[in-house]
Amino acid sequence: MTILSNPAEFVSSVKRPADIDAFWEDVMAQTARIPLQLDVTHDPLRSSPQVDVYQVHYTSLDHVRIAGWYARPANHAGQLPGLLVVPGYSMEPLIPKNWAARGYAAFSVAPRGKLRSNGQFNPGYPGLLTHGIVDRNTYTYRGFYMDSCRGVDFLLSRDEVDADRLGVTGHSQGGGLSVVVAALRPEIKVATSGAPFLCGFMDAIDLTDGYPYQEIADYLRLHPDSRQQVTDTVAYFDGISLAPRITCPIIVNIGLQDSTCPPETGYALFRAIGSEDKQLYDYDGYGHDANNAVHTGIIEAFLAQHLEP
Amino acid sequence: MSTPSDTKPLDFAAYWQDTLSQLARLPAAPEVEEIPLRSTDFATAYGVQLTSIGPYRIFGYLSIPTGEGPFPARYFLPRYGSVADLVPQGTSNGQRQRYVTFAICARGQRRSDRPYSAGFPGQLTDGIDDPYGYIYRGIVADCCRGLEFLVSRPEVNPQRVAAIGTDMALDTAALCPRVTHLVYTPVIFFQTLERAAATQAYPLEELNDYLRQRPEQRDQVAQTLAYYDASHFAPMVGARTLLMAEAGASPLGPAAMETVAGSIRSSTDVHESENSGYRDGAYSELWLSRELGVPEASLPPHWR
Repeated sequence: MTILSNPAEFVSSVKRPADIDAFWEDVMAQTARIPLQLDVTHDPLRSSPQVDVYQVHYTSLDHVRIAGWYARPANHAGQLPGLLVVPGYSMEPLIPKNWAARGYAAFSVAPRGKLRSNGQFNPGYPGLLTHGIVDRNTYTYRGFYMDSCRGVDFLLSRDEVDADRLGVTGHSQGGGLSVVVAALRPEIKVATSGAPFLCGFMDAIDLTDGYPYQEIADYLRLHPDSRQQVTDTVAYFDGISLAPRITCPIIVNIGLQDSTCPPETGYALFRAIGSEDKQLYDYDGYGHDANNAVHTGIIEAFLAQHLEP
Repeated sequence: MSTPSDTKPLDFAAYWQDTLSQLARLPAAPEVEEIPLRSTDFATAYGVQLTSIGPYRIFGYLSIPTGEGPFPARYFLPRYGSVADLVPQGTSNGQRQRYVTFAICARGQRRSDRPYSAGFPGQLTDGIDDPYGYIYRGIVADCCRGLEFLVSRPEVNPQRVAAIGTDMALDTAALCPRVTHLVYTPVIFFQTLERAAATQAYPLEELNDYLRQRPEQRDQVAQTLAYYDASHFAPMVGARTLLMAEAGASPLGPAAMETVAGSIRSSTDVHESENSGYRDGAYSELWLSRELGVPEASLPPHWR
């Protein structure tokens, strides 16, 4: 395991598949053919005088039912900006009351395998990261990414959401999913990505010995003959492969001592982002938090600038 | 005048003695099975199943270094959330070379979610109207059962057993004297209701949600939470302790936690968070390796 003294100089091994755009256009077309079958139920227990909370369910790829939390200001006039909040790997999706209190119609999705979305599909944690990893057509994240992208469809289904003011935000796996959603859904007008996971999969297993990436190292130790298949599969799912599709304004923050999502992969992701309106915040002295204590304010201001809550 | 959630119940000791007695009456009946996928050339991983109060079957991840022991042990206690990892995210898997590690999945968490699957949010208020029906009573018992199992292993050096985690780490060290070292990060159970009133963030927001619906239950909720307040467990802890406080004037900062730290019976270090997972994590890792007598700290590559 060799760590460069300057992680910004790291050259990723990710090879963008020539047919990656066709692959995802096909997956998104398959998903679009499945009716959303929305179920939106007000949740009085989780609502407050300031924020209305709803439990949401919809159908995604493979006809898997997906859950989420929708929160919006209890009293609002006119249309609201929509914000998709995407979750970390082992955390539960949060009820986005904090964003609703700031004037957003915020939807926090629980992609397949997360609690409340695990009735039909539940590979477990650890386990989700390598489930079906030898075939891009069966890999967990094929559906997981679509479950997240369908959060955009949910927001667009709401009369109170302004379709021209949609954003996505997340940290860790959520940072990776922000990149994915911004890359695959042109309706997204602004994105923030913190300490992005799912970027440089195969680089990361050589750069860190921590979980969740360690799941892939575990898998390859037991199945060494599958290394090429795994490499070929994750290339289609790697944020570095998808990032050239991003055209919206985006900010990325990383910690230079991040032992979960190595900073080398964060730099490689940032270089690959297609948008001209992009900014990287690389924080020395910080780990996987990527200086959230300070950077949260930067995210709030950046989203407010573009979405005008 | 509302009841504060840190007023010590008169029957605090009896409540926990009753919990431990229930546990003692149930055989642990361990089942231990190797997990080849998580085993390496330097450590073997096992899935462990144990019986806790209820009776309820719980799961844990055990890892034993290759080579001749006994080894110091790290016992990872559950946080608020459905996932318990073999070793905590962000730490080095290489620690499994030098330590026996054991991570318990308490009832309601994944792998210990049959028949009870906890909701997040939901778990913090499950049964909170009755101290004897509160879900955390079983969770604390699960943690104690795990500790008993860990110290029963011949590979473990009983002089070097560290409990590591949030509130459940403190509770386990208080109730199980075989914990020799404690790394405790307070999160939930300290002046809980009072802190909940000042936040809209989960998990404490669960309490606000609950009391908005049932305001008449406030005193009862406060009484239940009082059985779990850190200030009552701290005087029962004899383990050498590192308390990981939040930064500055936070309600979980060094000044606020001073009474808790000061009432722990053994020598206690307080580390004020630098709001950096790297700096705080490295401090904790170096403290543990020093206190447990392991010459080389298990630092992830980017922390070295």
